[in-house]
Amino acid sequence: MRLTRRQFGALALAGSTTLLLAACGQSSTGGPASAGGGQTTGGGQTTGGGQTTGGGQASGKPGTAGGNGGGGSVSFVTALAEDERTALGEILKGFESSAGVQVKMIQMESQDVVNQLKAKKTAGKVDVDLVAQDNLRLGPLVRDSIVEDLSGESARVPETTIDALVPVTQFDNKRFFLPYRPNVQIAFYNEAKLSAAGLQPPKTWDELLKAGQTLKEKEGIGKLAIQGAAGDPLSVTVFEFIKQAGGDPLALNDAGTVKAFEFMAQLEPLLTPEYRTAKFDTMNTIISNDTAYLGSNWPFGINVIVDKNGRKDIKAYQGWAGPNGESHVLGGEVLGIPAGAPNRAGALQLAEFLMSKDTQAALLTKLGWPPMRTDAFGNVPEWQKPYFQAVQEALKHVDARPNVPYWEDVSRAMNDAFRDIVQQKQPAKETLDRYASAIQKAKQAAGA
Amino acid sequence: MSTQAISHPAAAAPRSGTNAAATRLVLRIGFVLLAAVFVVATLLPLLVLLKVSISAPQDIMTARPPFLIYNATLEHWRALLNPATLYGPARHSLLVATGTAVLGVLIAAPAAYVISRMPRTWRYGLILGLLFTQMFPDVGIAMPVAITFLRLGLNDTDLGLMLAHLVPTLPFVAWILVGTFEMIPREVEEAAFVDGNGKIGTLARVVMPLAAPGIAVAALFAWLKSWNDLVYAIYLFLGERTLPLMTFYYSNRGSVFDTATFAVLLTIPVMVVTLALQRYIEAGTLSGAIKG
Repeated sequence: MRLTRRQFGALALAGSTTLLLAACGQSSTGGPASAGGGQTTGGGQTTGGGQTTGGGQASGKPGTAGGNGGGGSVSFVTALAEDERTALGEILKGFESSAGVQVKMIQMESQDVVNQLKAKKTAGKVDVDLVAQDNLRLGPLVRDSIVEDLSGESARVPETTIDALVPVTQFDNKRFFLPYRPNVQIAFYNEAKLSAAGLQPPKTWDELLKAGQTLKEKEGIGKLAIQGAAGDPLSVTVFEFIKQAGGDPLALNDAGTVKAFEFMAQLEPLLTPEYRTAKFDTMNTIISNDTAYLGSNWPFGINVIVDKNGRKDIKAYQGWAGPNGESHVLGGEVLGIPAGAPNRAGALQLAEFLMSKDTQAALLTKLGWPPMRTDAFGNVPEWQKPYFQAVQEALKHVDARPNVPYWEDVSRAMNDAFRDIVQQKQPAKETLDRYASAIQKAKQAAGA
Repeated sequence: MSTQAISHPAAAAPRSGTNAAATRLVLRIGFVLLAAVFVVATLLPLLVLLKVSISAPQDIMTARPPFLIYNATLEHWRALLNPATLYGPARHSLLVATGTAVLGVLIAAPAAYVISRMPRTWRYGLILGLLFTQMFPDVGIAMPVAITFLRLGLNDTDLGLMLAHLVPTLPFVAWILVGTFEMIPREVEEAAFVDGNGKIGTLARVVMPLAAPGIAVAALFAWLKSWNDLVYAIYLFLGERTLPLMTFYYSNRGSVFDTATFAVLLTIPVMVVTLALQRYIEAGTLSGAIKG
């Protein structure tokens, strides 16, 4: 049957109306978040591994929450991969049944958290109670008063919390966050290729240089990689080299910093050209497809490189030390409560549950997340144990990035100095003096 | 002398014809080569994505991946084609993109028609105004839009996302349609009017059908822009995700296989919609409209 134009028009109008009515329906707000999740310095998939510090065995049964019950439901923002979300959901069931609080997990990437919460706050529609946020992206949350001052809740932080985590949660001696999970970069290497070149995984700067030279002579192109993508990835890389040389990133022109930049300038020609775009995600590919035989990344890379990409021949160790010893940036996630959170009591209850000994042990067992406390223990799959061992070793030498209000200026200065000195071979001391002066100005402007 | 003078033009004519034919041939070959380059440049990235999405890791994670697939697998697709993962985002994306296209055309078409029939000075002023709105990047205005929509309770609704997508889409759709309506000769409308059609009848039976190619282009643009949007979806959709957000998050996880599979998945509806609307986008639809 042929439709007349009028009938066709009526049908189109009815269709459009139906579409609009369907569109007005509420999507599953706050419901279990869908897949995905961005890698944070503590997020993404970490490895598992044997036992953590201390002794004892986790019961696998998450602890019950303490504190006064908030009741109702808690909206918990966290960036997780599919399998991480499933595992955490299982763990949270224990909390829901014991505390009588329903937890709604909301997927929000760490890079989106600030803007999304800021929009909610400005609109006066804060519907998030608890946020797990990347350690390295906390400044704007405090600066823009997006999260609450939790100084009054310090008693909830377990006494066995890893010492290095404490400064991460504080700004100007005020506690704005609660510890949740630590993380640290480890070095991945192609065991067969290094052996074929007569090399062992480099443990010192000298060995790193030698490895770079040997591999470049053998392959005709640099085969080492550092995370050189502009922004946070490069900041972390530079920060670690500076600390390994005994420098102070906030000063940026002391002897240690100069030494670090001079070393990086020596190392740069031995790097694979792809290092310039290397960050947490691309590093996995660079290592997996043999573009580089050695490079550092966050432990979530273990599941991607070894498991998903099938490179069981890629091994890991804690990385190299500089003249001042080993140093790794402390990544991971902390917990914060947005200002105006509708269920603050419930959020604190959930935070306490997440920090509890049994929950930390369960997170280690199920997800391979290193615990934030020294008395939590768990087991991880056999194949992950050597990798987790590397994580544990690296965690012994972590440095928290200083929580100063002018950190973004410091980060920019480190990036710019890397470009000038390491890539464009300008003199280290003079260049660093210039950037140190810029940092001092930023410090004064911030009133710090 | 005279013989030569006479024979010259006669001899030149065939040579000139041969030269013209040769030029046409060269131009045709050049066009085919250029078209081939464009086709390869367009399809190659898609083929690479498809290859990665159906290849085992050993075919991809090497220093020199082979062009052909030696170890095919559907493992990446199986992992992704999980109703719990896919259904919600696919439904949201389809609904929002289609709704944006429909609403965009419904709102912009009458406005564009009126603008196209305005005096030249007013018309150009308004067209410039429409283009002016395109100077603002989405990331720059997404935050205030999000705040307003949050206040109105339009977050996490498909309607909210549609309306947000209309903010950047509507002016461009209107701009396309102004050009379309300008091409329709007024004589056609006048003839229809003389034939007894009222204003609305002329619009519905004559103008809009003639403008169908332009409307198809505008709808296609609106659909694609909405389908690919990431900025507004990040701010306004915290519940179930849209497909571009899923692709973004999977790529953030660092696995090229997941990223490639989702990217292919994201491309399939684009190809379907483009092919479906392509038959309306024909050159010369208006030619002969005022003949006979």
